[in-house]
Amino acid sequence: MFKLGRKWAERLEFGVFTLPVLISVIAVFYYPFMMTIRYSLTKWNGISKNPKFIGLDNFKQIFSGDANFMNASWFTIKYAILYIVIVNVLAILLALVLDMKMKSTTWLRAAFFIPYILSLVIVGFIWKFIFMQGFESLGASTGWGIFKLSWLGEPNLAFISVLLVSIWQSVGFYLVIYIAGLQSVPDDMKEAATVDGAGPVRRFFSITLPLLAPSITISVFMALTNSIKVFDVILSLTGGGPGGTTYSVAYDIYRDTFQNNLYGYGTAKALILFVAVLIITMIQLTIFKRREVEA
Amino acid sequence: MKSKKAGRIVFEIFMVILSLLFLYPLFLTIINSLKSFSEVMTDVIALPKSLAFENYSYVWKYINYPRLFLNNTVITVLGLAGIVLISSIAAYKLARTKSKMSNLIYFIVIMPMLIPFQSIMLSVLQMAKNFHLSDSTWGLGILYWGFGAPLAMFIYHGFVKGIPNEIDESATIDGASGFRLFFRVIFPLLKSVTTTIIIIDVMWIWNDFLLPLLMVNGSPTTKTLTLAAYTFVGQYTSDWQYAMTAMVMAVLPSIIVFMFLQKHIVKGVVAGAVKG
Repeated sequence: MFKLGRKWAERLEFGVFTLPVLISVIAVFYYPFMMTIRYSLTKWNGISKNPKFIGLDNFKQIFSGDANFMNASWFTIKYAILYIVIVNVLAILLALVLDMKMKSTTWLRAAFFIPYILSLVIVGFIWKFIFMQGFESLGASTGWGIFKLSWLGEPNLAFISVLLVSIWQSVGFYLVIYIAGLQSVPDDMKEAATVDGAGPVRRFFSITLPLLAPSITISVFMALTNSIKVFDVILSLTGGGPGGTTYSVAYDIYRDTFQNNLYGYGTAKALILFVAVLIITMIQLTIFKRREVEA
Repeated sequence: MKSKKAGRIVFEIFMVILSLLFLYPLFLTIINSLKSFSEVMTDVIALPKSLAFENYSYVWKYINYPRLFLNNTVITVLGLAGIVLISSIAAYKLARTKSKMSNLIYFIVIMPMLIPFQSIMLSVLQMAKNFHLSDSTWGLGILYWGFGAPLAMFIYHGFVKGIPNEIDESATIDGASGFRLFFRVIFPLLKSVTTTIIIIDVMWIWNDFLLPLLMVNGSPTTKTLTLAAYTFVGQYTSDWQYAMTAMVMAVLPSIIVFMFLQKHIVKGVVAGAVKG
């Protein structure tokens, strides 16, 4: 009797402690996710009360050649690859510098981190102002041709602008992760390597980089998930322009759903995005984790 | 030896100049928020001839700044309190219970980290309408509980595993169990990781855009700072002096908080990153 009572008390406590989080997550992820699957099989403008069931027609239409979606996918892939590589390389280089003992280390770390505390929408507007108005004045006072280009008006340059602004905003965050990683590299290993005659470059590639592997896994994972979802900065910086060349997948979904009122169609695209994210992150984590074990 | 030292100093000066260049766009934003329209148009990089504080009073009144500030605070505080409470308590219980059920719940909670928000945004909006959570700052704050829980749970869970079980046992012998054990003994031990989670989530919730856009954009009394800045710029596309003022006013709270807590913030992100 007593035993049964205690077991039930334990179960009750387990439930009381874990149910709130479970309910919250189910309410904002799993339940909406089920609704998403349902909406993706319908044609719905958001006004009529009942979405019309059309089976897999949305998916057929998307895969049989939706030019917007194809362009947005291509943009997102290019952007994600370049973003992940550049932001991580820059952050590692900066972290190596800011791990040295300098008088200004504290200031430098803070300075590179500051843009990360700003909202991406606002960062986009600030840079829009700089590209449109600021570059004119900078060009006039320096005479440099780089300031006279149309950074938001020409497709290739607009792409570079989006990339540049995203990297500017977030490099400080990755920098901090790598500084944390570097601080866990034991000094005596570096010293031993120096005694053995390894130069700085050799030391970096043979000791520092392999020991940095866990930080690289985390950073690449975060850079990957964030770059696939890129939306805010494009909305305020280029608005998708010029001529629709800077629409990302996330932006394309947003546009279809809330601007074109194609609720079912937009949701079908959203589901495809989810599957893509799932597959890509799984592959990334598996590959990087395996490398970590080797190191 | 001497030349090596000189080289280091030159390198350090180079880094400081680089960091100032890095922050130059923010400097330009601030000086242009203090200029008149014609001054912005003639020369962006020049310092303002006289300080046009009327830009600030104009934007302050136009977007009802105190109200927005209050909204942001309500959403952020409510969201954070919920995330910290429900995630820490559940992470503790799940880390201490070895069962299939426990593993399953842990998996269910952290799995959504892989779901992009755009995949579910329409459904979240519909659900919020069904539950009468839309167009309310409280409703938005509550939604953040679920959105913030996966990462918080992930970090807390890893941390609780590092706290020895003996602490629970000795507290139980002393007569504490359940909530008392958690709040008196365990929660204080989680202080450092709670700081990390608060820092990461404050930056996220305070600055978030898409979820507030869908949830509280309907009325000027429920808007957030970022949303108001976004709409404001939309209406004043060419009045850059007002736009820049709205930008400064939207980011100023974050920058002030950052300056005071700078050390803790960088440390907190480091701790979170290492644990995560």
